[in-house]
Order: sequence, then C-alpha cells, then structure tokens
Amino acid sequence: MKKYDQMSSGIWLLFAVYICVESVRLPLGSFRDPGPGFLPLLVGILLGVLSLISFLQAHSDESLESSESWYPRKRWKNLVWVLVAQLAYAGILDTLGFLVSTFLLLVFLFRSNLAPRSWPWAIGGSLIASVSCYVVFEILLRTQLPKGFLGF
Amino acid sequence: MELLSNLGMAFVIIFQPDNLFFCFLGCLIGTLIGVLPGLGPVATISLLLPATFHITPVSAIIMLAGIYYGAMYGGSITSILVNIPGEAASVVTCLDGYQMARQGRAGPALGMSAFASFVAGTVATILIMLVAPPLARVALKFGPPEYFALMLLGLTILSYLASGSVVKALMMACVGVFIGTIGTDTISGVERFTYRSYTLMDGLGLVPVIMGLFGISEILLNIDQASKQEIYGTRIANLLPTLRDWKISLPAIFRGTLIGFFLGILPGGGVVIASFAAYAVEKKVSKHPEKFGSGVIEGVAAPEAANNSASQGAFIPLLTLGIPSNVVMAVLLGALLIHNIKPGPLLLKDHPTLFWGIVGSMYIGNFMLLVLNVPLIGMWVKLLKVPYPVLFPLIILFCLIGVYSINNNTFELIIMILFGMLGYLMKKFAYEGAPMILAFVLSPMLENALRQSLIMSHGSFSIFFTRPIPCALFVISILLLISPLIPGVKKRPKIEDVT
Repeated sequence: MKKYDQMSSGIWLLFAVYICVESVRLPLGSFRDPGPGFLPLLVGILLGVLSLISFLQAHSDESLESSESWYPRKRWKNLVWVLVAQLAYAGILDTLGFLVSTFLLLVFLFRSNLAPRSWPWAIGGSLIASVSCYVVFEILLRTQLPKGFLGF
Repeated sequence: MELLSNLGMAFVIIFQPDNLFFCFLGCLIGTLIGVLPGLGPVATISLLLPATFHITPVSAIIMLAGIYYGAMYGGSITSILVNIPGEAASVVTCLDGYQMARQGRAGPALGMSAFASFVAGTVATILIMLVAPPLARVALKFGPPEYFALMLLGLTILSYLASGSVVKALMMACVGVFIGTIGTDTISGVERFTYRSYTLMDGLGLVPVIMGLFGISEILLNIDQASKQEIYGTRIANLLPTLRDWKISLPAIFRGTLIGFFLGILPGGGVVIASFAAYAVEKKVSKHPEKFGSGVIEGVAAPEAANNSASQGAFIPLLTLGIPSNVVMAVLLGALLIHNIKPGPLLLKDHPTLFWGIVGSMYIGNFMLLVLNVPLIGMWVKLLKVPYPVLFPLIILFCLIGVYSINNNTFELIIMILFGMLGYLMKKFAYEGAPMILAFVLSPMLENALRQSLIMSHGSFSIFFTRPIPCALFVISILLLISPLIPGVKKRPKIEDVT
C-alpha cells in the first residue's frame, strides 16, 4: 500500500498543480471582491499541501508495506471489456438508435467471459430486456430515447 | 396545538391517492435495490430523478425519500441472510444478524430488524416535527459567514469520520469543491475549466458524476471481486421475536433511535456512523459485551433503529438550512432544485405542503415497509438468488439510460464512465467518494458564501471569527482536525474499532 499511496499522492499533487496553473489564468479579483479564479486557486493550493502530507505520511509509514497488486491480475480483461462496451454504446447510441444499440450492448455483456450465457439465452434475454426498457422509458415514462437512422 | 394541526396537514397530504402510490413505489424500489447488490440508494435516486419531472414536487420527493429509507431496510435483509451488507449502513447488522441466521434464528432477526426500523422511524418522525420548526426560525438569522462555516464544518466532520485517512478524505473534499467550480461562474459569467465544451458550460451534471462514482465503480468492483454469495438455506419461519427478545431489544431500540437521530442531524454524520455508534454503545452498556458478534438480538435491533432514525434526522438540515448533511441528501437537494424549490429556512413557510408531506410520508412509509417486508421476505430471498452476471448488464443499462435521459447528451455518458473509472481507482487506493460528492454539491453555495462574506467584510477573514456562530463552528472544525496531534486525546473513532 505504501508504494500505491505515494503514487496516488503524486498524481493528486500534479492535479493540484494543474488546478493552480489554470486558476491563475482566470481573473482572481482581490480579497475585497474575489473573482472566479479565487476559490479554485485556494482549493488547488490546499490539495497540493494535503497531497504532500499524504506522500510524506506514506513515506514514513513502515507498516504499510504490502505486495498485493491494486488491479485484478486475472480478471482485468473483464473490466476492460465492460468499460469498452459502455464507451462503444455512448458512441453508437445516437446513430443506431436506442433499441439496436441496447440490444447489441446486452448481447455483448451477457456473452462476456464473466459467466457467458448461451447464444439463444443471450439473444432472447437481450431482446426482452431492450424492448421492456423501451416500453417503460419511452412509452410509459415519456423519456426521449434516441431514434437513430432506423427510426426506433 | 400547532403540532397537532401540522400532523393533521401531514396526513391529509400523504393520504392523497397519488402521494400514497408514490410513497409505496419508493419503499418498494428502495427495498429492492437494498436487497440487490450493485446499486445503492444514491445511484437509484439519481437514476429516477428524470422520471420525476412529470409528477408534482411533493410526490417526487416522497418517492425519492421512500427509496432512501426503504434501502436501509432492504440492506439489512442481505446482511442477515447472506452476510453481505446491501448498504454500508447495514455492515454492523451482519455481525450479529448473520450469526443469528446460522443459529436458525433468521426469522426473529429479520422481524426485529423490521420492528426496530419501524419504531425508530416513528419516533424520528415525531422528533422532526418538534425540532425542525424552531431550527428553521434560528436559521433565518444566518448570513453568508454562518453558512460558509457550517458547510465547512460538515465537510470536516465527514472527513474526520472517514474510515480511512483523514488527509485523503480532505483531499477528496478539495477535488469535490474543484469539480463543482467547473462551468460558468454565476457572479461574473466567466467560463471556468470548460475548454469550450457546451456540456461543461452548465457545469458537471450531478447525476453523471454520482452514477459514475457510486454506480459504475461499484459494478466494476463487483466484477473484479466476483463474489460468491451463499444464502442461508434454512426456511425462514416465525418472524415474530419472542417476548424475551422484545424485553432485551426495546431499550436498545430507543437508545439506537436517539443516537441515530442526533448523528443524522449532524452535518457530515449520517447513517453509517449512526449504526456503528449505536452498536458500540450497546456493547458498552451490555452486561455481557463478550457475547456481541455471536448472535445477540440487541446487536441487530440497535443499529437497525439507528440507521433508520438517522436517515430521517438527516432531512432536518436539508429542509431547514438548505444544507445536505450526506450524499443522499445532496442528491435530494438536486431534485428539489430541479423542481424549482430552494430548501432553506423559508421552505416551511413557502412550501408547507412539501415539508409536512415528507414528514407524513415517512410515518406511512415506515408502516408500508413493515407490511411490505414481513410477509414478503420470501420474495426478496428469491431475488437474491439472481446471479450477478445476469444482473450487472441490466444495472449498467439502467445507469446509461438514467444519465442519457436527463439531457439527451451522449457526452454525459462519457463523463459518467470516466467518473466510474475514477471511483474504481479511488476505492482501490483507499480514497472515499462521499466527501468528494458532498463537496461537489456544496461547492457553488460554499463559493457564494465565501465571496459574499469577503465582500461584506471588505476583504477581511476576521468576519469568520468576530461573529459568534461562525467562530464557534470554525473552532470545532479546527479542533477536530488537530485533535489527533494533541497528546492525551483519544484516537478518533474508526469503524473498524467497533467491531
């Protein structure tokens, strides 16, 4: 954990520097009349100081040593699959429309290697789930779901 | 007399058919998501926020509030039967509840948990009626410095009580304030950190950020851990606790209710702390503290009462001061603002139907939960058996639809996914999400209060120390932060210490 704490504090420190640099480019105003950059700069400085304290705490703490990896060595592919699937969904939703995109997303997730379902199960389940969502959200709750070039 | 007429108004509002229906719906959905892993009340309330646009604000808030306290109860079902808390607030219930289930006493544990929640909810409702109106009158005297100091105290308490490092929690609060400043500055009209994105000009949306941090990240963690659940297979019979159980539990329920209520009101407090504190107190006053953890019924009754009354007490700062004391209240604040209602000291005067409607709904909601849960336990147990690989694609889908339907904007989906990844990494590196979200929601109010205070004082920070209320609040915040450095002061309470 020690190594990871140092690493994460370092990343937050960089983020704090980014906040400060970007805030200074905004009008800071004065103490009498603080401008839009005032609070972000204050928060950036505070975050920087806290990240440094956290870094030093991790550095001096000997009990935190652990060899455990922060990411799942065996299952990281599953995580990537799920994230990619969601990003792809965001990419195709407007073009393909709600029904088609949702059907594809669900088939993909049901077939993922977490606990893959059979093809007929995945297709049938995805079809039922996407149509039910369409009925509930579009027809009953009157949410405007994207139509896509196919018109549904 | 005023109290009685208010109570009458509360019941008139809640017994309107649509309010009754939405209260029931909220309790049902709340219990459902409390039972199912992966979607907590925060994510669910955000998810259903767009669906409430078409109903009246009173019905909307009644439903969303029902989800909150319904989830508290649903969470305890999984704690007792599976030893997996559906909600963070039910972690303590696992300790004795699961042991009771293993000894064949799952029925009384579930029953007592329902009754404890009901009694606590009822007492808390009465306490709200007594405490809220005078507090609202005091709050009318609050100016920007008082609000600023109070919000800062809330963030400090939340960070102080964080289960991990205080420094890390404070860092997350800073990040939260920063992401709250993204968008167009309301005072000067200057764009901040938007990089010419139209979506960012309005600021980061509350729902995508919350769904990412609390919905998507939870799913990623569950996939990562691939947890196996083992449901306690015995038949659940006889939900009614025995007379002896009642005798032991009643004092525990009342202690838990009071502790929960006051910790719920405290800015930054909340249900998790309340349930742990109630358990710790029970262990301390018990004649046989060594038996705690082996299946004693007061170990179930006290935290269940506490988390329920805390979830209701938490409404007080939101409705009287306009300041959310925890993340769920922060989302509800967002919901009220969407419905054009600004919570604060004037809410009681301007929107009495909303305030008393919520109070009435809590009373009826607790009764509904009791009716819903005691006979329906069997159905909830069946739901627990749905395998996670079937469940998680649907939860992801709900998150995606929920976020998209707010503004029909796919860029917000990407924001949600990014915050999902951030939330996953934060959990892995032991950073807490709650201070970030609370700070994110408070950020615009915090900034306005700070800027107005400085304008009032002509640029002097002494305004926070020359007025009595902000000075007292600041002193408490500072004492909390430096307390670990003072020799002789006991270590700050940590959740792990209780168990």
